[in-house]
Amino acid sequence: MEVLTGWWDDFFWGSVVVLKVFLASLVLMVLFGLVGAAAKLSNNRIAQKIAGAYTVIFRGTPEILVILLLYFGSAITLTAIAQIFDPEVKFLDVPPFWAGTIAIALIVGSYATETFRGAFLGVKPGSIEAARALGMSNLQTFIYVRIPEMWRLALPAFGNHMLSLIKDTALISIIGLNETLFVAKQAIGSTGKPFTMYIVVGLIYLGFSTVITLTVMALERYGQRTLRTGT
Amino acid sequence: MSFDLSLIAEALPKMLVGIGLTFQLLILSAILGLILAIGLMLMRISGKWYLSWPAQVYIYVFRGTPILVQIFIVYYGFPQLDFIRDSFLWPIFRDPFGCAIVALTLNTGAYVSEILRGGVLGVDRGVLEAGEALGLSKPQRFIYLTTPIATRLALPAYGNDIISLLKSTALASTITLMDMTGIARTIVAQTYAPYEIFISLAIIYMILTFFIQKLLARIERYLGRYAEREG
Amino acid sequence: MTSPEPLIQMLEVGKHFGTFQALKGINLNVSKGERIVVCGPSGSGKSTMIRCINRLEKHDQGRIIIDGIELTDDLKDLNAVRREVGMVFQSFNLFPHMTILNNLMLAQKLVRKTPKAEARDVAMHYLERVKIPEQAGKYPIQLSGGQQQRVAIARALCMKPEVMLFDEPTSALDPEMINEVLEVMVDLARDGMTMICVTHEMGFARSVADRVIFMDTGEIVEEAEPETFFNAPRNERTKLFLSQILKH
Repeated sequence: MEVLTGWWDDFFWGSVVVLKVFLASLVLMVLFGLVGAAAKLSNNRIAQKIAGAYTVIFRGTPEILVILLLYFGSAITLTAIAQIFDPEVKFLDVPPFWAGTIAIALIVGSYATETFRGAFLGVKPGSIEAARALGMSNLQTFIYVRIPEMWRLALPAFGNHMLSLIKDTALISIIGLNETLFVAKQAIGSTGKPFTMYIVVGLIYLGFSTVITLTVMALERYGQRTLRTGT
Repeated sequence: MSFDLSLIAEALPKMLVGIGLTFQLLILSAILGLILAIGLMLMRISGKWYLSWPAQVYIYVFRGTPILVQIFIVYYGFPQLDFIRDSFLWPIFRDPFGCAIVALTLNTGAYVSEILRGGVLGVDRGVLEAGEALGLSKPQRFIYLTTPIATRLALPAYGNDIISLLKSTALASTITLMDMTGIARTIVAQTYAPYEIFISLAIIYMILTFFIQKLLARIERYLGRYAEREG
Repeated sequence: MTSPEPLIQMLEVGKHFGTFQALKGINLNVSKGERIVVCGPSGSGKSTMIRCINRLEKHDQGRIIIDGIELTDDLKDLNAVRREVGMVFQSFNLFPHMTILNNLMLAQKLVRKTPKAEARDVAMHYLERVKIPEQAGKYPIQLSGGQQQRVAIARALCMKPEVMLFDEPTSALDPEMINEVLEVMVDLARDGMTMICVTHEMGFARSVADRVIFMDTGEIVEEAEPETFFNAPRNERTKLFLSQILKH
């Protein structure tokens, strides 16, 4: 493992970047998923159509293509706008961090749309009727009955979405984000040990995946427990 | 930064040249992946720890790491290892196409084995007991009862995995292969027209996704004809 | 009964699920042509007992001997036994992916090695016997519960068993379908089939059974001819059970 000497720091900071992208895209993914599900469940036909197109597009297009399009597309647009004010500008881009984060959040958000929609529809009408019969308002029913039941139903699929997000962060190295895969490329350049370096990257991701899997398992157990004791 | 239609007209035929390679990657790794998946699934349900344990570790590792890292390990990493350079498999690993097939196969095999296992576990125990009571041996029950019923149960999830696999073939472009995505990236590098090229390519992928879904729905209907009350 | 050796012999049979004792000290002899009805509260071990007879469950104490063959871990004997013993389940358990005809032909071809044409003839013969030959080309889901259960009986009969076991064959059926299944069973009894039926259909027990067996907590509590069993039960538990079941 001597070849790794001097590279530990770089891999550590690369991992921090992975974590940052993951957390930022997680927030956005939940947002896109909830908005998408709300649109699909709404009575507004235009909203339904837009949400439908959103899921078809992002589930049918390769992830790498979405990332490339968002990054280079936004760069060319930004550059053109900037040149209006200053003709000297050669190239201006949205930072790869944000282009990539938004791209993977949009992709996984399209899957989350279906998950949230299914979970919302999966809540038994009986529980909602019971809450109404007890005199709870719409909002109270939503907060105290719908949401808790919904997240329990959505959790297993949601865990898979989180795993997709963490793994998709690797794709952002293609547009130059300095995450672990990018670090590995530099390390290979100076050490000539590609197998070693990429295995390190694989192990880092395996670590992240493990933490996510264990967290979801713990949450599922927690969800089951509230279900059983009825608290 | 206007949307240049003549550019699309020019680029489309060029990109479609790569569709053959995309199909080769998809079909070859789907078939090999399915064979691998069946093997892994059989190991997993064998009830023997020395078979099920390695299969479980394999599935865990390949589902817990990004496919891009897996592709890089095979293509860039393996040549670092002398025993691979000296083995009869070297012609496969020297060739980017061979590496892409190997990585895609190993990856999809892990996912599909879990899908198949879900199908096998979903088969009604009572039906298997009826077979047992009629004197069918264990292999006979597996071939004539478990396999056809589990296939039907696993098919929807399997279809989703085939679409994921199609999207993953686009990553072959990261190891110099000129599939549709590889060609598109080259054209964008020359013309600097990401919108036109990437969007039209995305539409091609969506059309392919659509046809794969149609085909699978048809197979599903055929295999599931026994599950419809009218007939 | 005059036959020298019973078709089914159970000697001090016991069975555990983990620490729970499902069967204890079961002694039962069934002669050829005898019709036995087994009843008892749920969890009394009645299903477990008949499942032990074709080894869907393994007993862990005592001996079970079917037509001279003792049930052991020896696989060859087991297949010979299963050919002798037909079983009908509460939830029909037809093969959902096969037509009715193929449901009846599969085991004949695989286990009995019957040629296809002959297997088809046998299948149609028994479908006629359960009065639904016209359903041969359909899939199980397209049939009513009563029809499915009749198919399941025909499927077991295709193997030409010496004994038929019925595990609550009418419990999963809507009330209006119970009779069509019972009729088939009565018919079978009239033809001299050896039968062991776990059921709570007391009318069936009265008219068909040679003996009624009452089980509770894994034991045979009472065993008598139907007349005696229903009119003069000796055991308190039997009386309680009968008073509950006959109220319905």
